[in-house]
Amino acid sequence: MNRYENSAVSNAGDIAKRRFLGQLRRGHGIPGRKYGVIYRSVLMENLQYVANMALGFFGYFVFIYIFIKLWEYMYRTPEELIAGYSKEQMIWYVMMTEMMWFGSNASAVGWQVKTDIRGGNIAYLMNKPYHYTLYILAKYTGEWSIRLPMYAGLAVVIGTVMVGAIPGFRLITVPAMALCIMFGLTINAVFKICIGLLSFWIEDATPFQWLYDKLILVVGTIFPIEIFPGALQPFFKLTPIYTVCYGPAKLIVDFQPAKCVEILAAQAVYLAAGCGLMFFVYRKGVKKLYVNGG
Amino acid sequence: MLTAVKNQTRVCLLSLKYNIMREMVNKVTFLMNIIFMMLNNACILIQWFILFRLREEIGGYTMREIMMLWGLTAASFGLSHILFARVFSLPELIVSGKLDSYLVQPKNVLLGVLTSATAVSAIGDFLYGVALLLFCGLAVGGFLLALLLIVTGTVILTAFALLFGSLAFWFVRVEILGNQMVMGIVSFATYPDGIFQGISRFLLYFIIPVGMAVYHPVHILAEFDAGRLFTVLGYACLLSTAAVAVFYRGLRRYSSSSLMEARM
Repeated sequence: MNRYENSAVSNAGDIAKRRFLGQLRRGHGIPGRKYGVIYRSVLMENLQYVANMALGFFGYFVFIYIFIKLWEYMYRTPEELIAGYSKEQMIWYVMMTEMMWFGSNASAVGWQVKTDIRGGNIAYLMNKPYHYTLYILAKYTGEWSIRLPMYAGLAVVIGTVMVGAIPGFRLITVPAMALCIMFGLTINAVFKICIGLLSFWIEDATPFQWLYDKLILVVGTIFPIEIFPGALQPFFKLTPIYTVCYGPAKLIVDFQPAKCVEILAAQAVYLAAGCGLMFFVYRKGVKKLYVNGG
Repeated sequence: MLTAVKNQTRVCLLSLKYNIMREMVNKVTFLMNIIFMMLNNACILIQWFILFRLREEIGGYTMREIMMLWGLTAASFGLSHILFARVFSLPELIVSGKLDSYLVQPKNVLLGVLTSATAVSAIGDFLYGVALLLFCGLAVGGFLLALLLIVTGTVILTAFALLFGSLAFWFVRVEILGNQMVMGIVSFATYPDGIFQGISRFLLYFIIPVGMAVYHPVHILAEFDAGRLFTVLGYACLLSTAAVAVFYRGLRRYSSSSLMEARM
């Protein structure tokens, strides 16, 4: 009897243990697993549209070509430095920031949030067993995971052929740069979601997206911060521009370990603050939501 | 003939009026779109202030010519998107077979399609462009000439988009390339032609119509040249004729998706 009882207990323990291990293997109980599933499904979906994405290369090439010609004109001699950047570094800087811009297609994030709120789809999405903002973030990450490497490859080819290698570039620094780029894109998406969430109060937040995008473009994308008057530089370093585009691109053209740590620390602070703001705005926004049925 | 033109013009203007009225349902959003687009465009001037701190002239342009360049580009792009915004989404209509509702109307098909949408933010682009040209210190005659050049720029941009959009009658996925080409024109049109040399300069003047839409007009405004003006006018007529011909040629290949749709 005892033997059978012991055996039964032992079997139940084994089953529970096996079930637990199975769940662990499948990822059950792991926080954020559902966002991983969303990410994977978007990634697989986007793999079907690689050819369409490649057609967008033309726009990137045009932009880069214009900037190569512009900086070739601006630099009188090959040795000249502007704001501490050589011609090659300046062009590579623009190529890298534009790669992040084109490769992430962050405008889709703001557009999706605005469309969901304006069209009423939010009422359906907010009842799902996930947080709406994190769902958008997971989707966006799945999209750029395909686009960005494609644009990175194109940037390397264009840069190597038309400009030459980045002076002093070391392959070993690539993981740190990749981490900075990843954080930069996520911070940008968080802020764009925050702006998109303004659609809860105003019908269309797109005009705010334009201004945010244009400031990021003019201040951090087409120029490094050092090119601006000295009095403005400390102010720019406190804005998202420093963490979204300037920081990652600066590391690519001129990697310094101390700078890398500084940028990663600033990104961590911005990401935490940005996420806090995003959850707060969302919580306030859904209270404003009116569902008209249909 | 004159009555037909008059009637068609009246229909186009009514279409524009109703497009704008539809967008004005929410007045705050309507005004914000216009004002913020003007601010958005104004931000890019920062770039030029920075660049002119480094060099006194860029590609033969001073700040005044840059303002003319931006003024003409923004106003032409804006007017094109106010009057003929649908041309920029024409491939989508063709590929999804949504031209039916235009084909059954007793008016010109092409004009019916082109004037069926208006981009509100483009009003901001247009106003910004005109304001920038006013700030350039042009005389009255020069300003009137600038208005004529805005019209030629609008015709060239619209015709180019129509030409590329009509390719959707033959090829799929052409809308992505068409959008890229139009945005390529706008990107090139906001930088001085003096920085481009050799083959790229040839392409910008003879293949991609940036030279005809914007660069020649800027040179005409800076220093009047009748020969250049007639070249621009002739090119605008030629390109629009070619674009219309390609559209109607392609329309013969159009097949409906039998989608029930009503135009309101």
